[in-house]
Amino acid sequence: MSVLNTEFEGSRGDLFQLAMKTGFLTVLTLGFYRFWQTTRFRRWYWSSVRPGGTPFEYTGTGQEKFIGFLAAVILLALFLAFFNAAVMFVAIRSSDGSLDVLSSGVALTPIALVPILFAARYRARRYILARTRWRGIRFGMSSGAWGYAWRACLWTALGFLSLGLLWPIRTFRLEKYLTDHTWFGDARFTQFGRAGQLYGPFLPFLVTLWGSIAMMIYGVAYGDFQQVGTSATGAPMYQPTGVTWPFLAIYPATLFLFLFGVYYRVASFRVMAAMKILGDGVEFDIHPRTRTLVWINILGSILTFIATGVVAGIVIGVALGLAGLLDVFGSDAALAPANIGVGIALFGFAAITVYVFHHVFRQIFITFPMVRHVVSTLEVHEPSLLANVRQRDRDGMNDAGGFAEALGAGAAF
Amino acid sequence: MNDMSQQTQLFTTKLGITYAEFFDGIRPAIQRVSVTVEGSGPDAVLELKQADTDETLRWHAVDLRLVPDQARDDDFIFANGDDNPARLIIRDYDALKEIFTAIPHVRAVRGHSSFPRLMAMMGGAMIAFAAILFGLIPFMADRGAEMIPPTAEAQMGASVFEQIYPAMGAYECTDPAGQAALDRMEARLTRDLDLPYPITARVVTEPSINATALPGGHVTFHLGLIEVAESPEEVAAVFAHEIGHVAHPDGTRAVLRSMGSFGVIGLVYGDFLGASAMAAVSQQLLNSSYSRAAEERADAYAQDLLVASGISPAALTVFFERLQNSGDVAELGIFQHFSTHPELADRIAASAAAVGPAVAGPPILTAEEWAALQNICQENATPTASTQPGFTPSAAPSKG
Repeated sequence: MSVLNTEFEGSRGDLFQLAMKTGFLTVLTLGFYRFWQTTRFRRWYWSSVRPGGTPFEYTGTGQEKFIGFLAAVILLALFLAFFNAAVMFVAIRSSDGSLDVLSSGVALTPIALVPILFAARYRARRYILARTRWRGIRFGMSSGAWGYAWRACLWTALGFLSLGLLWPIRTFRLEKYLTDHTWFGDARFTQFGRAGQLYGPFLPFLVTLWGSIAMMIYGVAYGDFQQVGTSATGAPMYQPTGVTWPFLAIYPATLFLFLFGVYYRVASFRVMAAMKILGDGVEFDIHPRTRTLVWINILGSILTFIATGVVAGIVIGVALGLAGLLDVFGSDAALAPANIGVGIALFGFAAITVYVFHHVFRQIFITFPMVRHVVSTLEVHEPSLLANVRQRDRDGMNDAGGFAEALGAGAAF
Repeated sequence: MNDMSQQTQLFTTKLGITYAEFFDGIRPAIQRVSVTVEGSGPDAVLELKQADTDETLRWHAVDLRLVPDQARDDDFIFANGDDNPARLIIRDYDALKEIFTAIPHVRAVRGHSSFPRLMAMMGGAMIAFAAILFGLIPFMADRGAEMIPPTAEAQMGASVFEQIYPAMGAYECTDPAGQAALDRMEARLTRDLDLPYPITARVVTEPSINATALPGGHVTFHLGLIEVAESPEEVAAVFAHEIGHVAHPDGTRAVLRSMGSFGVIGLVYGDFLGASAMAAVSQQLLNSSYSRAAEERADAYAQDLLVASGISPAALTVFFERLQNSGDVAELGIFQHFSTHPELADRIAASAAAVGPAVAGPPILTAEEWAALQNICQENATPTASTQPGFTPSAAPSKG
């Protein structure tokens, strides 16, 4: 049985150079370059991932991504404008016009965007795959964004309503939907296995979640609450006495919930990857370690925080220095409109710079090591079965992931 | 590397031949090809001879492309034109040197990009977005403002009032004599007006120099404005401006517009529902740009209303100039517009001069009434235990 192992060949120094270069361009263009930046990141990452020594290739372009974004913004703005207006008219017609009814009407907007968000993520994934090649052959996804959206809404709702009991079914069904719509050339991926196989990795999280809920119910039911005063707004404030341990135990419980949650994500990914088959029987194995990923995140967050802090200090210092030079805070005409304009421009520029650097450091300290760890554990079994695969046609995908971008659901790169 | 392969490499380099990996863009199989460079410059040709089939492909220098942004710099991936999925991977240093000596400039693969098209799309998108923000949303908010029944509007104004002022730590002033003076001023100004709802005029204990017209005729003066005014006519001038907002109904429109534009700005920043500071700042700019036209309208309205009520509109100009000279920040909507349109003060002064003393009716308030209005908040003054033991600043504002 032959196996293709995957090498990750990118170096952090090269990525840093690329991130800095594209980061500065992003600052100078007030953020417009970010579409080209994302594209170049993808090209770089794709080329570092080499199953059997042959790199992936990303063929998307910044321009198509930008145009797709513009189109998505217009369509979503139209949708929001009409949706908000419809809610407004219904609220005015059916109520005494009190502000509460109107604002709770507007609160429907995020809910209305949820299915669109799921569909947008599907399309973003479809676009990325349509622009990914390996050994000259295109990946792709067949259409099905709305089918994905309603399934995702349904299973997310069921997952919450069942207090997590049905969550592994959600994970499995959605992953199966995505996998079964994914292609390499004219060969289709298929997700095998059962949702039941995910209950093992999910058990620690579920037990901790239900334990925490039971603990809080017990604490509230048997605790002895005594009023210790009133808050500034006049609401009474209580202090629990008697049974107090549940309210202390909730802190470590939350930490465990987080860790077990990450474990489930990694483990379910591992389990489901091993049950995917491409075409005539090409199989995969990928085994990232939860412990490694958690450490990368903790360490990476600390490093990102420190590095961003240093840069923010320098940038704010420079901005204040410039403000002093230009006499923005001059004593007499303190708040002349021109000075306010310069001040806002300086502040805005400083904010964008810090934001861009933060992005660069996250790439270097978190995204890069995570990607390196995950992809270098990928194995492709029985690659000889790829011989029958043939090229697929180019998929237009003119929105180019723009909907996910406009809704802020874009990926790290 | 053993001696044998070293020798082979030496041999192939001398002949300008190397073996490379070739992908034909049809099947995912790795094909071994030998690469020869013929000629140099734009006429050069890369000859790819397949090891298995002896088939030969010729890639011309003009079509030769490089796949950019590669993570490794010791192998190069070539393409034949921008659209052809076939790829050639060359890892051999000497062969690469050979190729780049013969063909020094190899362009990167790029998609169908065109700068004019990009600019056209961007311009189109900006126009469309502006049309939605400044055309569609205000249009629908205006229709909403027409549909909403006056009682509902008054109710909306009351709930906005209770949401914003207690949050600022400001409460309604309740001195009966002061309120009576304010009501008298209102009666004089609204004498001949046909407003959809009665004006509810109030003063709140807020030190800033400002006044607001909330939906449903809720006109609120901040104490700072009452205190800085030197005559009742100056307050009346501001009052007339706020009545202009009520008549239009700008307050209702403003509330409905901000609801209608909910989430739209955030799209541009790609930030889910505009939670970021950037989106919040832009939303603020958007709101003030909505209100600029409303301020102009309210000013014109105030001018006519003052003349009709027998008060010289010059009071508006006088008040503005004094505030400007004293260095007080004019955050008042009425003066915001003044500071960006300095010619407006001249226009008002001119119209006041033209109308002349003919406008001057009886003074709007007597000296006693004016004094009472200036002291309308005295009961809300910082309480001392001896004078006002029962005073609670957290009590909800009630109609005095």
